[in-house]
Amino acid sequence: MGRRLPYFLLIALAVFFPLFGAGEAKAADAVKIGLMAPTTGAWASEGQDMVKVLNILVDQINAKGGINGALIALSVGDDGGTPKTAALASQRLVTTGVVAVVGTYGSAVTEASQDIYDEAGVVQVATGSTSIRLSEKGLKRFFRTCPRDDEQGRVLANQVKALGFVKPAILHDNTSYAKGLADETREIFKELSVKEVYFDAINPGDRDFAVPLSKIRAQNPDVVVFTGYYPEAAMILRQKRDLGWDVPIIGGDATNNRSLVEIAGPEAAAGYYFVSPPGPGDMKSPAALEFFKIYREKHGGLPSSVWAVLAGDAFSVIAEAIKNVGPDSGKIAEFLHSGLKGFTGLSGAIAFDEKGDRIGEVYRLYKVDDKGEFVLQN
Amino acid sequence: MGYFVEQIIFGLTVGSIYALIALGYTMVYGVMKLINFAHGELFALGAFVGFFFLVTLDWGGVFGPALAIGFTVVFVAGATALAGHILERVAYRPLRHSDRLAAVVSALGASIFLQNVIMTVWGAQYRAYNADILPKVVWTVAGQSVSLIRLFVFLTAVAIMAGLYLFINHSRLGLAIRAAAIDQGAAKLMGVDVRRVIAVVFLIGPALGGLAGLLVGVYYGQINFNMGQLYGLKAFTAAVIGGIGNIPGAMIGGLLLGLLETLGDAYVSGAWKDAIAFVALILILVFRPTGILSERVAEKL
Repeated sequence: MGRRLPYFLLIALAVFFPLFGAGEAKAADAVKIGLMAPTTGAWASEGQDMVKVLNILVDQINAKGGINGALIALSVGDDGGTPKTAALASQRLVTTGVVAVVGTYGSAVTEASQDIYDEAGVVQVATGSTSIRLSEKGLKRFFRTCPRDDEQGRVLANQVKALGFVKPAILHDNTSYAKGLADETREIFKELSVKEVYFDAINPGDRDFAVPLSKIRAQNPDVVVFTGYYPEAAMILRQKRDLGWDVPIIGGDATNNRSLVEIAGPEAAAGYYFVSPPGPGDMKSPAALEFFKIYREKHGGLPSSVWAVLAGDAFSVIAEAIKNVGPDSGKIAEFLHSGLKGFTGLSGAIAFDEKGDRIGEVYRLYKVDDKGEFVLQN
Repeated sequence: MGYFVEQIIFGLTVGSIYALIALGYTMVYGVMKLINFAHGELFALGAFVGFFFLVTLDWGGVFGPALAIGFTVVFVAGATALAGHILERVAYRPLRHSDRLAAVVSALGASIFLQNVIMTVWGAQYRAYNADILPKVVWTVAGQSVSLIRLFVFLTAVAIMAGLYLFINHSRLGLAIRAAAIDQGAAKLMGVDVRRVIAVVFLIGPALGGLAGLLVGVYYGQINFNMGQLYGLKAFTAAVIGGIGNIPGAMIGGLLLGLLETLGDAYVSGAWKDAIAFVALILILVFRPTGILSERVAEKL
């Protein structure tokens, strides 16, 4: 019994400690914010960039003495880019007592974690999950700093029409993101009375796309809309060139990554269009320029895509909410829905509608030039 | 008709890569009755070693394309053979006389270990081979566009497989490998150094897998640390279909899987490509449970 006593005291202390001097003592405790990101797995580079961005932001806030005197402690949970791992990561984050969580990248991955956070009452601000249904479930504490696929599909279809194309082929990769975007784009094409000549999928992770390319070519489209991710888009561009075919390709925001040009080579990538929120290099607000200067000094380059920046913005809106209403999940959610006015993040103005979706036009059209640079078109 | 011929060419290219990797699975299984789950990672390692020489050291710029590819082939084969050798010494040899299950677990562990080593050394992001390592030449033959590089991939794979076939069937060491595959105990009694045979198999198999990785890098341009998983799975399937342990079987299985995938994609639907290919493969296994060329396992390798 004598040996157990210290443990008993420790447990008693742990249980009752929060009750001592609830006011000031609590304010001095660190506020825990979670980041759920794919730091391993197929999207590991995205996730690792997210960690880098958030670490800088957290350090900045803590260097200034925290929010209202309370330091921020970041807990990172690795979702591995898979729904199964995300379920585990979110449960672990919830048990560490986070008030809000930033993340994550893939839509299916976010979906696996949504209910876990919601049941625990934790605010979740997703960063790259654009699938429509995520915000159609009536979850009061779910937000996202990225736009939805229907927004993107609308912009994508309209840009295709504005560029003067009339016979598009649509290709997706069966992931919930790419299929969602492809379906949405097809819907908008119907409204615009543009009829696609081809609609099918490839498998993500494949490397040989000669067959789908030759099938699409047989339908003689004047543009190919590819809604998948950059590794596949890059190889499609490269193999299209190998086939000696010069049809233009237009893609979605998942192809907004510098690796696209590296993999395809500048020659094959030249002329590729995509719609996307502005990339890190096109964010020119003073705050953004200053942030990227620090990032560059620390990591020797910019984040490779916009998603890590949107993770930074997700963190910033949470911090803003905590500053205004304190570290209480319910109040943070309420504030984000209605109290967040005139807030500017790295990617521009941020506000949320009643579903938790970001308000405002975010998408821009880009074209890859002959040197392989992403050039903002409008 | 031209469309069909085009699809066959695509299928053979894809399949020849599967076949090259499948050879590594089948040779190891033939001699050791062990599925080397780390083989897919050795394939990925080959792609990254090639990346190191061709991109990081830019041998293409230093030696010109032909010489650079030649040197890289030698170094990639050497490096992956060495990795395979170490793998055998560390992960498999100590378990030679223990439970089969222990060896399988050790193989899985080695696979995860190697994958994480690759991620730690080269990073998690997608890496790209220069797009201009091989000249972009596209021929039009009978209305079909055939690119030089695709032909290069296919012919290289076929040449390597032909070389292996001659080695296994017409050399003393090849004879020893075949003997050890039929019956290790009997081979030992006849004076075959089985330990050496296993060592040789663990040099050749990984080298072939590594070269397949190099081909994938040069042709498709994009490599990443977990590329070994999908290719490994498909190549393993190809080996089983051909009759695991059987060398010509692995070649046939690989080409068949490539063709099935391609034709399923071309004539049915891209979204159902893998499903179609694997249903066809299940059917083959239903009618020939030990694979296409399995009978010969008992007599020869």
